[in-house]
Parts: sequence; C-alpha cells; structure tokens
Amino acid sequence: MRAHVKKTIYSLTGKLIITIGTLMVVGSTIFWYFLIHFQEKELLRNSVKYGHSFVDFVEKSTRYGMLTFQQLLIQQTVEAIGSAEGIVKIRMFDGRGKIAYSSVKEEKGTMLGKNESVCMLCHSNSRKAVEMPSWSIKKDKDGYRILNLLQPIYNEPACYTSSCHVHSIGTAILGFTEADISLSLLDKAVKKQELAITAYVLGFICLLSVVLCTILWNLVSTPLSVLTHGMERVAAGELDHTVKIDTKDEMGELATAFNAMTFDLKKAKDELVEWGNTLEKKVEEKTEEIRKAQAKLIHSEKLASLGRMAAGVAHEINSPLTGIVTFGHLLLKKFPEGSQEREDVEVIIEQANRCSNIIKGLLGFARASSAEKSSINVNDIVNSSLNMVRHKADFFNIKIVLNFDESLSSIKADASQIQQVFLNMIINAADAMEGKGTFTVTTRKVDENGVPFVEVEFNDSGPGINEKDIPKLFEPFFTTKPVGKGTGLGLAVSHGIIQDHGGRIRVRSTIGKGTSFFVRLPFYEG
Amino acid sequence: MNKGNILVVDDEDIVLLSCKRALTPEGYNVKTVRRGADGITLLGNEAFDIVMTDLKMPDMDGIEVLRRVKEGWPAIEVIIITGYQTVETAVKAIKLGAFDYIEKPFTPEQILTVVNNAVARRANQ
Ligand code: HEC
Ligand SMILES: Nc1ncnc2c1ncn2[C@@H]1O[C@H](COP(=O)(O)OP(=O)(O)OP(=O)(O)O)[C@@H](O)[C@H]1O
Ligand SMILES: [Mg+2]
Repeated sequence: MRAHVKKTIYSLTGKLIITIGTLMVVGSTIFWYFLIHFQEKELLRNSVKYGHSFVDFVEKSTRYGMLTFQQLLIQQTVEAIGSAEGIVKIRMFDGRGKIAYSSVKEEKGTMLGKNESVCMLCHSNSRKAVEMPSWSIKKDKDGYRILNLLQPIYNEPACYTSSCHVHSIGTAILGFTEADISLSLLDKAVKKQELAITAYVLGFICLLSVVLCTILWNLVSTPLSVLTHGMERVAAGELDHTVKIDTKDEMGELATAFNAMTFDLKKAKDELVEWGNTLEKKVEEKTEEIRKAQAKLIHSEKLASLGRMAAGVAHEINSPLTGIVTFGHLLLKKFPEGSQEREDVEVIIEQANRCSNIIKGLLGFARASSAEKSSINVNDIVNSSLNMVRHKADFFNIKIVLNFDESLSSIKADASQIQQVFLNMIINAADAMEGKGTFTVTTRKVDENGVPFVEVEFNDSGPGINEKDIPKLFEPFFTTKPVGKGTGLGLAVSHGIIQDHGGRIRVRSTIGKGTSFFVRLPFYEG
Repeated sequence: MNKGNILVVDDEDIVLLSCKRALTPEGYNVKTVRRGADGITLLGNEAFDIVMTDLKMPDMDGIEVLRRVKEGWPAIEVIIITGYQTVETAVKAIKLGAFDYIEKPFTPEQILTVVNNAVARRANQ
C-alpha cells in the first residue's frame, strides 16, 4: 500500500529539486556564457588573422600592376577579388587619402577628408600616424558584423627604384588597403550554437529533475511516508504493526530500528499487562489465603472459647451431678431388687450419667485447644485405638483389615488427641455397621501441592451417609444416633483437633456401600 | 469402729454432703470444710488420715491445699477431686505427692475404692 505523499514545494523532494534546479540553471548559464564568449573571441581572432592574410594577398596580387604602373590591371584585379563571396568592399588609398582603386568602381578617384572615420584611426589627435595594420568591427544593415581591415602599403626599394618614379625614397608609407569582410556566416553559426546549447541545458535540467525526482521519491519520500504512517498506527496503539522497508540504506536501518522499538514497546506493554493480571490473581490468592487463615482463626477461637465454656460448665454441672449420682446410689440400696421405685431411681442415675457424658464430650473442645505435640507414628496410634475397643461386643462379628504403609515416618502431633479422633472414627464405623461387615484402616503417604501428608482412611461397609447430612457432619451436636448413644460432638471435636494440627478430614460415602473418612496430617520435619 | 479420719475440702455443699453420706456408713469419720484455709487450720487441731480436696476453689485451690498438707503433714494421703480432668493438672498433682484423683460425678463405690486404697497404703507405711 502506497501512502499519500505531499507533492508540494514544502516537501523534501520539492525543496531538493528546486535547489538543485536553480544551481544547475545558474551554473550552466555562467558556463554557457563563458564558453560562447571565449569561442567568439577565438573565432574573431582567426578571422582577423585570415583577414590580414587576405589583405596581404590583395596587395601582392596588385604588386605587379603597381610596379609596372598598369592602373587598369590593378583596378580589374581589385574588382575581381572584391566580387568574391563574403567580401563587402576592397579599397586602396594613396598617401593623400585618395581612393586609388576600389571594388566599387564608381568610388575610384574620390578624395576623402581626414575627418572620415577610416582616416581617424591613424590621423586622430593623439596619434599622428600609425604604421601598423589594424582592424575594427562595424555592423551592416542586417545587423551582421563586418570586419574592417586596414593595412599600410610600405615603401620598399622596388617602389622607389621603379621606372615610373612616382615614389621617392623618403616616404615610409605609400598608401593603405582597406577591406570589409562580412562576418554574417560566423554570426549565424554562433547564434545557432547559442540556441543549441540553451536547448541542451534545458533538456538536461529536465532530464536530471525527472531522474532526481524518481530517486528521491523511491529513496526518501516513499519510505518516509511509510514510516510516518507506521508511527501514526503505533501511536494509535497498533503495536503489532511493522514497517516494511527492505532497502539496505539508512532508511532500511531506520525501519529496522523502528520495528525493534515497536517490538520492545509491545513486549514492555505485554509484560505490564501480564504483570497487572498476575497481580490481580496474586491479590485474589492472598485474599483467599487471608480469608482462610481468618476463618481458621475464628474457628479455633470459637473452639477455644467453647472449650473454656465447657470447662466452666463441666466444673459447675459436675458438682450437682455428683450429688445426684451419690444420693441416687444411696437411695438405690434402700429399695428391693425389681421394685418400681428402684427402677425409677435407676433412670435418675442413668440420666445423670448421660449428662456427665455430654460434659465429657464438651471437654473435648477444651482439650483440642491445648495440644502437647510429640513424635508419633500413626500406625501405632491406630493399633492402640483399635486395641481399646476390639474386645467389646460390638466388634465380635466385624472383620478388621489393616493396610499399613510400614515405611511411614513419624509426625509431630498430640498422641492422646489423635487417639481421640481415631477412636471416634472406629466407634462411628462400628455403630454404622451394627455389629457386622468389614472395617478397613489404610495408612499411606500422599502429596498435596508438593507438601507431604500422611493419610489414614477408615472404611466401613455400613449403610453410608445421606448426602444432605454430609455438610452437617462436623457441626457440634449433629447426630443420628438414638438419645443417650451419641452426643454429636465426636466429629466436631475431631475436626477441631485435626485442623489444629494443620491437617483436614474428608468424607466419601456411597449409600448402601459404605463410608470412608480420610484423616490427613502433615509430616513435620524434625 | 473408725476406719479413718477424713477431711473433705470443697466449695460445693452438695459434694461435701455426698462424700459424708457415701463414707460415713462405711465406718469413716468425715469432717468437711468449704475453704482451703479452714481445712489447714483444722489439720492443726485434729489428726486426719486422708484429705480430699477439690481442685478449683475460690480462695485457695486444690494444688495449694495439697502443697500445704504435704509440707505440714507428709504422712497424710491426699486425694484430688476434679470437676474435669486434664493431663497437666493430674500429672502436676501426682508429682506433688497426691495419692490419686477422682472425677466428678463419682458413685459411692468409686469414692470408697479410692479411699480404701489410700487407707491401705497409709497402713502399709
Ligand atoms: C594607415 C594609416 C593612414 C591612413 C588610414 C591615412 N593616412 Fe594619410 N598619411 C599616413 C602617413 C603615415 C602619412 C605620412 C606620409 C609620409 O610622410 O611619407 C600620411 C600622409 C597624408 C597626407 C600628406 C601629408 C599631410 O600631412 O598632409 C595627406 C593629405 C593624407 N595623409 C590624407 C589622408 C586622408 C584623406 C586619409 C583618409 C582617406 C588618410 N590620409 C588615411 C597614414 C595614413
Ligand atoms: N461411618 C459412619 N457411617 C455412617 N454414618 C456416620 C459414620 N460416622 C459418622 N456418622 C454420622 O455422623 C454423625 C455424627 O458423628 P459424630 O461422631 O460427630 O457424633 P456421634 O457419633 O453421633 O456422637 P459422639 O461421637 O459424640 O458419641 C453420626 O451420628 C452418624 O449419623
Ligand atoms: Mg462419634
């Protein structure tokens, strides 16, 4: 695509052409003037030289006539020579200014005064007489120049010894010959030459202008406008735009530099945009992190205050419970076995024990906030937890399978808290399976975003958990177990404990197939 | 017959009453006070075999009572009654020389067992 180019005299091309054109016109005019001037001078010099030879020739042609005093012969010779082309007139004067012979017959014998212009040359005031040949230029009626030649006829021995005795030995000049030679041919040739040279110069200037224009157009104007256009587009934000100038000259270099600049600009801008984007993402990530940490803090703060409250409640409630239990037992002894009263008192004691269990569950929160971490192996904890319940009737018909990763290294955790968590998982499973099925505990190493974790999976073949219950599992006091059997604090406390250890609990359950609880704890180095 | 003299320190009347009713029929002579300081004063006046003290009390707590008893009457066995058991306090109490601890709420049988054991140990020494 060719961009629009300003074709005014203000453009670079216009200015250059005008400057170069003017210089050429002035230069060639001066050159031309001096050439013509010099040539003309040279031509004239030659003409004068030939003119003098010609006059010599005329004098020599008439010499014989002179010596023999044959006036008619001289006159005829002069006429003959004067009739030749380019010869305007030939006159021979004697010593006193009389025209002795002339190519114009009528003039012969005319006496001229010393005031005639032809006489003035030698007879002017300053110079009394000139004994030298001389020449001058005059113009004919057509404006062409005529070369006027004057040449004295010197006295010589042959003259004064001649038989006619016209000339005495004392006179130096006997007369002079005047010849007018037309320079019209020369003038015409010079005119022609002038015209030709002018035409050549003009033509040359035109040709040079065209060539210069073309060169400038291709080398300067076009690339410049392409560059300008490119800059405009880049300035408008089109950073993908590249300028296509393939020449190896400065324009090409400029275009390459410009493209490099655009590329750098684009890179810088892309980086900036990229940076802005990642910044946004990073801010989001950090916000999420902070939000999570805050949530965790709030959660553990909740847990701690719940623990403090539980401790207070436990202390306050346990004293009256002690009274109820003690006096209940004392009363029990007063009634015979099987009596209605005894059964009633047993209910009182039972309910008091239930209260005590609730308090103990709540105390789990108090303990969750005060961990004593030591180096433990989860396989050992699983084993000791299972050993605590294995002998109970609930487990008699349950098949227990252990898949331990024996290579597990130890973790830093509170052993009794972790055992509390595992025990709750085991008892929950046994409750769900209702005394039959398979209970599998698997331990393994897992990797979460490059952080190593130990995972313990408690899998049972129980009935599974309703999907709508899953979000509520970890809420305190959520239970589906009959009154007196579960308090619904097991998973809530477990969740608090595991979170406190930097781990987490996940559930996967299929109705009719069974349930898996996954407890993840991080490996702490050391 | 008197199996032994027992001093119970607790800020709750119902706990004091429970101990008295659980142990008196079994042949123990039970005295009760509601403040640790009163207990220490009483120890100066009468002879006791066993001191039972609650851990959490307003003026002087159970650990302090334990320390004072062990300072003044090292032969007396101390049983700690706790409203809620924590590993730390239990360990601390045993370290300071407590014989055992018992959790509230306790049944008459439980308290009797602990007291019988304490008396047996005192007799052995
Ligand atoms: C080439 C130069 C020359 C020209 C042109 C010339 N004369 Fe003379 N003229 C002389 C010289 C030289 C003498 C002196 C002759 C001598 O004394 O032997 C002379 C002498 C004379 C004399 C005689 C002496 C005198 O002093 O009176 C006359 C008359 C004369 N010229 C007339 C003319 C007239 C008329 C013309 C023009 C038609 C003319 N001349 C053109 C060179 C010239
Ligand atoms: N393995 C399991 N299979 C099916 N349901 C389960 C399982 N584990 C837990 N649940 C459900 O989650 C509820 C909450 O369990 P959680 O351990 O928190 O309390 P709980 O067992 O009811 O009482 P607590 O543990 O305080 O004695 C249970 O009542 C039960 O409905
Ligand atoms: Mg449970």
